[in-house]
Amino acid sequence: MLYRVIDGSELPLLVEAFLERYEVIAPVQTKKGYAFAPVDSFDQVALDYPSTVSSLKKYYLPQRETLFRFDAETNEVLDLEVEVRPRVLFGAHACDINAINCLNSVFEDARYPDPYYEAHRRSMLVVGISCTPTSECFCQLMDADEARSGYDLFLQDIGGRYLVSMNSVEAANILETACNPRVATDEDRRAFRQATRRRQESFNPAIPDIQEIPMLMDAFHSDAFWDELGERCLSCTACSAVCPTCHCFDIRDVLDPDGRIGERERVWDACTSPQFATVTGGHNFRPTGRERVRHRMYHKLNGFLATHDRNLCVGCGRCVRACKANISPIEVLRFFEKKGAEDAE
Amino acid sequence: MVVVGLASCFGCQINLTNAEAHLMDILSQVDVEYWQLTSSDPMPEDFDIAVIEGAVTTKEAAETVKALRGIADTVITIGACANTGGIPGLAAEGAGYEERIAAVYGATVPAACGTMVAPSAVGEHIAVDYEVACCPVEPLDFARVLQHALYGSNVQQLTATLCGECKRNERGCFYEDGTLCLGLVTRCGCGARCPSLGRPCKGCAGLSADANLKGARAISAGCGIPTGRFEEVLRIFNHGEGGGDSTEARSEREG
Ligand code: SF4
Ligand code: SF4
Repeated sequence: MLYRVIDGSELPLLVEAFLERYEVIAPVQTKKGYAFAPVDSFDQVALDYPSTVSSLKKYYLPQRETLFRFDAETNEVLDLEVEVRPRVLFGAHACDINAINCLNSVFEDARYPDPYYEAHRRSMLVVGISCTPTSECFCQLMDADEARSGYDLFLQDIGGRYLVSMNSVEAANILETACNPRVATDEDRRAFRQATRRRQESFNPAIPDIQEIPMLMDAFHSDAFWDELGERCLSCTACSAVCPTCHCFDIRDVLDPDGRIGERERVWDACTSPQFATVTGGHNFRPTGRERVRHRMYHKLNGFLATHDRNLCVGCGRCVRACKANISPIEVLRFFEKKGAEDAE
Repeated sequence: MVVVGLASCFGCQINLTNAEAHLMDILSQVDVEYWQLTSSDPMPEDFDIAVIEGAVTTKEAAETVKALRGIADTVITIGACANTGGIPGLAAEGAGYEERIAAVYGATVPAACGTMVAPSAVGEHIAVDYEVACCPVEPLDFARVLQHALYGSNVQQLTATLCGECKRNERGCFYEDGTLCLGLVTRCGCGARCPSLGRPCKGCAGLSADANLKGARAISAGCGIPTGRFEEVLRIFNHGEGGGDSTEARSEREG
């Protein structure tokens, strides 16, 4: 990893350079918030966006993706041209880069490599940018407030200029051609430490910092708390739709209107969807909201950790905003805080 | 296949014909033996699939749907009127059906109206195998359901509610500015089309079998929407609370 400094005024040059060769995806302002979308000039980029409604996972795992086409009459698989565009994801926050790292560890598992996912990932450059936490952010509690890997460039705003961590030759070459990166000075490093401290100090103190979350998830697995959440859940799947790490999918066959040619497609699924755990024969292993909500939280805060050595929640706060029923990992942390306080009495 | 229209605006049938580019592709998979909208040929004695649009509003219509069920292996209802009672079903809301009839027709109901009864969904009279949701239906949704009936399908019928699809469209939420939206309880599948056009959901796809009405009422009230307003909008397409059938009933039928 190399560190260089560029001036704030050089950022448009960097984006313009990317635009010459890549489709550039960046945060843009929408009617009611922000979204990641293709841009065609630097002016459209909302650099200091707080968060987006939904995440970058759509570029790795599209909501709907054709896996192959088939002839329904002869039952033969037909050729499928998959067009994957070289892309730059510009302006990803650290939590979202960590979320992509979660997806990578699932879809790039050497035992079950996923060629569709890999094709997207291989064509992607990721350029991260530092941020200021919103009141729903708790990435620091999920060990996801810093991106240690998973990006090509990371831009840390140090006041009118950026300290850039360079992680790939491809991106570094573009940076060096488009801008005039210089070696960081002591002053830059001081500014970097201050910026980091400022970020760390601006997290919402009302979100409790709980130790040993996985153990508590296990200990309170049968608590009435889950009934309460289950009763509130609307079974809408908004949580998993906006979550950058939720990656479950369904595979189904759909026919063209004439019924002759079909497509096998992969679509997003969600464990909060009532049919998610229904198996052949009709039995549903998680028939109520209680089991479904608990399962989602358990996978986020306990289950994934055992196999992938990280939480499946990066504390991005999206589900906190999306869930009308006020169900989120923060509520789970609050519950543990309450239990802890009761214990101490 | 036969297509039968009961009390409705005929909009679903018309909308099927609006799939101009695909209409022949869709219909080439069946023999359309009877469809008053497109031909005056009479109803045949035997058929495999009965497609029904509209609510049951007369004794005669109730007889018709029973007769159709007796002959067809597969019954498909299309649109809100057939699935939930829809707009005609509003006339059956609460007490006062008789007075409403009198207000419209006076003392004697014209013979052409048939023997009028409080409007109801087709599913309240006979077992329905497949429903095509919404007001009006999307023609390609109809094609999918027809193909499901003809060839089987591994596409699950989901009972998740609409907010998830709205979030997939990366929209904000009407409740953020205190506007009532029935996406909280309406079954998914339409892709949240109205919200994506800036209109709150009115529930034309029907209540989800897993709708959490209690939770949704609390959310709506918590956003400062008067309680009566939620019920008022809910009633447009979903009469009583039983608008959606149970997951078990549906999965049994879809076997
Ligand atoms: S937890 Fe919230 S967002 Fe998720 S399905 Fe339930 S109500 Fe919807
Ligand atoms: S569970 Fe919620 S806070 Fe955690 S990563 Fe997913 S959307 Fe973000």
